Amino acid sequence: MSLSWLLSPYSEPGTYRAIAYLLLGLPLGILAFTFVVTGLSVGLGLTVTLVGIPVLVATLLGVRALAGFERELAATLLEAPMPRHIRAPHQANGFWWGRLVELLTERRTYAELGFLILRLPMGIADFVVVVTILSLALGAFAQPILITAGIHTEFGSWTVDTYPEALVFVPISVVYLLAGPRLLLAWASVSRRFASAMLGQLETHELKVAIADVLTRSGRADAFTILDQLSLRLGRGPFLSPTRVEAGLLALQSTGQVTSNREGSRIQYTLA
Amino acid sequence: MDEFGELAVREREAKRIARRQWFWLHFAVYATSQIFLVIVWALSAATYPWYIYPLFGWGIFVAAHAVFAFVIRHPDEILIQQAAKRLEDQP
Repeated sequence: MSLSWLLSPYSEPGTYRAIAYLLLGLPLGILAFTFVVTGLSVGLGLTVTLVGIPVLVATLLGVRALAGFERELAATLLEAPMPRHIRAPHQANGFWWGRLVELLTERRTYAELGFLILRLPMGIADFVVVVTILSLALGAFAQPILITAGIHTEFGSWTVDTYPEALVFVPISVVYLLAGPRLLLAWASVSRRFASAMLGQLETHELKVAIADVLTRSGRADAFTILDQLSLRLGRGPFLSPTRVEAGLLALQSTGQVTSNREGSRIQYTLA
Repeated sequence: MDEFGELAVREREAKRIARRQWFWLHFAVYATSQIFLVIVWALSAATYPWYIYPLFGWGIFVAAHAVFAFVIRHPDEILIQQAAKRLEDQP
């Protein structure tokens, strides 16, 4: 751990974007939590009168819109890996009933719902971490101003009310000025993983459509080539792993949509 | 199984090991904290065993973590197994 490693985040725009994301956590968390809890409570409460059903559907549509915004925010400010979504042709132009069934049956809808509910506790933690680290880092600079303004800090029976006494904050500020940005980035990486795990999901049917599309374009390909092509198409991230591609290929094979034949140490796949 | 299948198996194995390592780390933190709390309780000469609240409260999450690390399989693993079985059953 060198001094340049500790100070390098100051010159990286990503640090300031991460701070912005963490600070936005509290207001966005309150908004998301309030919306989801109100929508679900009203919708479920009114279900007996049938009025609740459109309220629930509207809530889930709102969840999808809010989650879309959160997805963009995490991808932009935290560089969280998110899949570039693709849709099956029949779903892209589907009737409202098909879209409704898709909304209700997709695993993504419930992951988004969970994310928006957990956004409040996570957002509170994000906000507290940023404000605490920034306060400790800037405390020494703020103390002379506070003393001039007549605001005194108290530690038990000791009151810091003179400029020399304010020097006690200098070592704390130095430590947090050095380590603070790294601590913030470490915390932001937790938020990035959380956002990516909850919002960066790729549905199995989407993966199968993408694999079929790769095979349509290339004729025949081995799984390594398919994975490379999918990475170009969907982006890289935990949502696209060798295990997922293997699962997609086996699922397509078991339903007869894809055939395979072994050539050397690799298996070549073609559309049936 | 071809080269890619072996890569996928290694990936799953690495994830399984990581999950178990995270669990043991969690368990070590839990056990150390609980021992510390019991010592504090014993030294304070308190009669009411207040340490049982964190012991069981946190213990629920440790138990859930153990289930996640040792029992629950990843959905993709289940899908692979089901698809492989369907392929085997095909004439």
